[in-house]
Amino acid sequence: MTSTTPTPSATSPDTSAVVRPSGTAVVVGGNRTPFAKAGGHYAGASNLDMLTTVLDGLVARLGLAGERIGEVRAGAVLNHSKDFNLAREAVLGTTLAPTTPAVTVQRACATSIEAAWDLANKITLGQISSGIAGGADSTSDAPIVVSERLRHTLLKLNRARTVPDRLKLVGQLRPADLAPVAPNVNEPRTGLSMGEHQALTNLQWQVTREAQDAVALASHTQLARAWEDGLFDDLVTPFRGLTRDAALRADTTAEALAKLRTVFGNDHPEPTMTAGNSTPLSDGAAAVLLASPAWAAEHGLPALARVVDAEAAAVDFVHGQEGLLMGGAYAVPRLLARQGLGLDDIDLVEIHEAFAGVVVATTTAWADTTFCSEKLGLPALGTLDTDKLNVAGSSLAAGHPFAATGARIVATLATLLARRKAALIADGGSPDTPVRGLISVCAAGGQAVAMLLEA
Amino acid sequence: MSRDGEWIGDWLDEPGAETAERASAASDAVPERIETLAAVPNPGAVYLGALGRAGRAIVTTSSLTTSLPDVALRADLTLDRERLDAYAHLVGERALDTAPPGFVHVSVFGLQLALMGRGDFPLPMLGMVHVANRIEQLRPAGVGETLTATTWARRLVSRPVGDGMGTQVDLVTEVRAGGELVWQGVSTYLARSTQISGLTVLDRPEHPEFVAPTPTGGWDTTLRLSKDYAAVSGDRNPIHTSRLAARGFGYRSTIAHGMDTAARALAALGPRRGDAFTWSVEFAAPVLVPGRVAVGVERRDDVDPADGGTRAGYALTVWDPRRGRLHVASTLAHA
Repeated sequence: MTSTTPTPSATSPDTSAVVRPSGTAVVVGGNRTPFAKAGGHYAGASNLDMLTTVLDGLVARLGLAGERIGEVRAGAVLNHSKDFNLAREAVLGTTLAPTTPAVTVQRACATSIEAAWDLANKITLGQISSGIAGGADSTSDAPIVVSERLRHTLLKLNRARTVPDRLKLVGQLRPADLAPVAPNVNEPRTGLSMGEHQALTNLQWQVTREAQDAVALASHTQLARAWEDGLFDDLVTPFRGLTRDAALRADTTAEALAKLRTVFGNDHPEPTMTAGNSTPLSDGAAAVLLASPAWAAEHGLPALARVVDAEAAAVDFVHGQEGLLMGGAYAVPRLLARQGLGLDDIDLVEIHEAFAGVVVATTTAWADTTFCSEKLGLPALGTLDTDKLNVAGSSLAAGHPFAATGARIVATLATLLARRKAALIADGGSPDTPVRGLISVCAAGGQAVAMLLEA
Repeated sequence: MSRDGEWIGDWLDEPGAETAERASAASDAVPERIETLAAVPNPGAVYLGALGRAGRAIVTTSSLTTSLPDVALRADLTLDRERLDAYAHLVGERALDTAPPGFVHVSVFGLQLALMGRGDFPLPMLGMVHVANRIEQLRPAGVGETLTATTWARRLVSRPVGDGMGTQVDLVTEVRAGGELVWQGVSTYLARSTQISGLTVLDRPEHPEFVAPTPTGGWDTTLRLSKDYAAVSGDRNPIHTSRLAARGFGYRSTIAHGMDTAARALAALGPRRGDAFTWSVEFAAPVLVPGRVAVGVERRDDVDPADGGTRAGYALTVWDPRRGRLHVASTLAHA
């Protein structure tokens, strides 16, 4: 997991005979549900239902029934208090051995990439030899909470000993206190929604409507092509009658996107953010299996790609020092600098499309000499070749069930890298030539996680 | 209709080993005459019909017919997604794309009621107690699958109840997808105070004293949960939801639905039940609500002695931990 890791003696990623240095974690396979729209196909499914179903699907696909996995590490962003032990409860609902330990984690939209990173570290250290990272989120089955006044009163009622005390407490309640409160994912510190935050970032980086719509169009076009090409045959299990991502509009056009009305930043002089270039609220779950190369080989499973390194960043958006979702502009250059790599060394780049503006602003910052030297003390990364970017679509088209996105990206990218590597070798290339992939996932609270994979 | 669980009588503490004969034997005897219905009847409507037919249907002991109708009721159905979600979340299952066996039972329950509500059915629908249930699942039934359910009655027998004799009947339901048998259930009901002469008389079974196993879990029962199960199962027998009605039938309080209790015990086992199995349930003392029950999940190598085999599986027991009274004795035998 560090720059001292020797260059892998990689062979074909599709064979179980892959020889890798010890102290390595590899991505073995993944599974996710198609992502649904909020209130759509999965409206009746809980996070626990969805997490259980993706784990079960992964187990079925990879033949892991009855297996004791080293650790399942998963979470959700919109949490019900009853799901305090979500990951372990999900494990107990699957055909994995009930002796499989599990940890519930949460790092906002970077939850399951964080989980994958943690597991890769444990595998690399030799503490475990297999692990499943995952996440599930339902915006349809979101927890509804009671007002703070009602909650406090109920807690006091529980402690009150006499009837007069109880009556007094009940008498203090007002009808308005009884109204339920729907959860939101506004930033608690600023009170602004993510969209409003991104609108500010777009202003700062002069991100145009056209640039954002181009990202959205590419996401839909490329996700549709990936589905057509069968990329997801090994990565997705249909659930509740949904066989493809519900948000995907294979036939959308630049003209159609240009017609949409703006939904965020409407106080600004020229608002640019629409429902088309912002991720839809979604329901779904994803899981990805990581293991030591030896474990994968013993189980006759592929080592798709090695987890090389990862880096987290957090930015000060509270005091206006940086845009909320700009963490990737920090995490990625720091990660590449530690690895001694540049963008030219990277074959595929996955930037989570929370909003199209995140992709544009992040890549613009990577190329910005002033930004990189002043904020990072590093040379600029240069301009990203968009042919490398989100080649199988991303969150704008697929949807974004918050905690599931990281596992979706890790599994998808590892599969893409393994295929590239296999194609490279088939074309007579050297098995020693690394095929590298880079991930950047921004998250609430000004955070981001970047990860480097290599086939 | 089916009053799951106890009666206040001596047989209560004696789960009937004589009940629910092997499910797979049931398909031998599908009546030739089959009435096809447009859909599985809504249980509520069947109840109302039964209540409307004053007299006989409620609790009478004398009956006009003394044999079972030689007819099967058949209807197509698809398992309802929303109802499955509610059922699964209520009994502690995950709401996946396939249904737990107890959900198939509630989905075809209306056919059973419709058969018992017929004028030529010899027993009073509203006076019957669900004493045993046996389900053989060949594979899980999927949401959205087109299924066909066929229900008929068989094995009308007399059995001792307390100091008198009651009459017991099996309602058999098979569920097919196309021609493929997917699920087969035998529900055994007892009309405690209906006596029909000339029937085979079962011996009073001998039961060992109940010795509670080591608990592996438990749950609280509440009237709210009973009402939720009534809504999701369609089994709105007021004995489960109204204290007044329960007292009218001689219970101190409302009683939990037997199939609810059984389903929660099966959920305690979780995915270890596998896809193909026989799930046999015998109801002993009813679960009085509100209260707390204990559940014990035990691995066994000999869970299905009824068919002479020694199949591997689990014993799932529900009892009252304070009084040491057995509520449900059930087994899950892997196919």
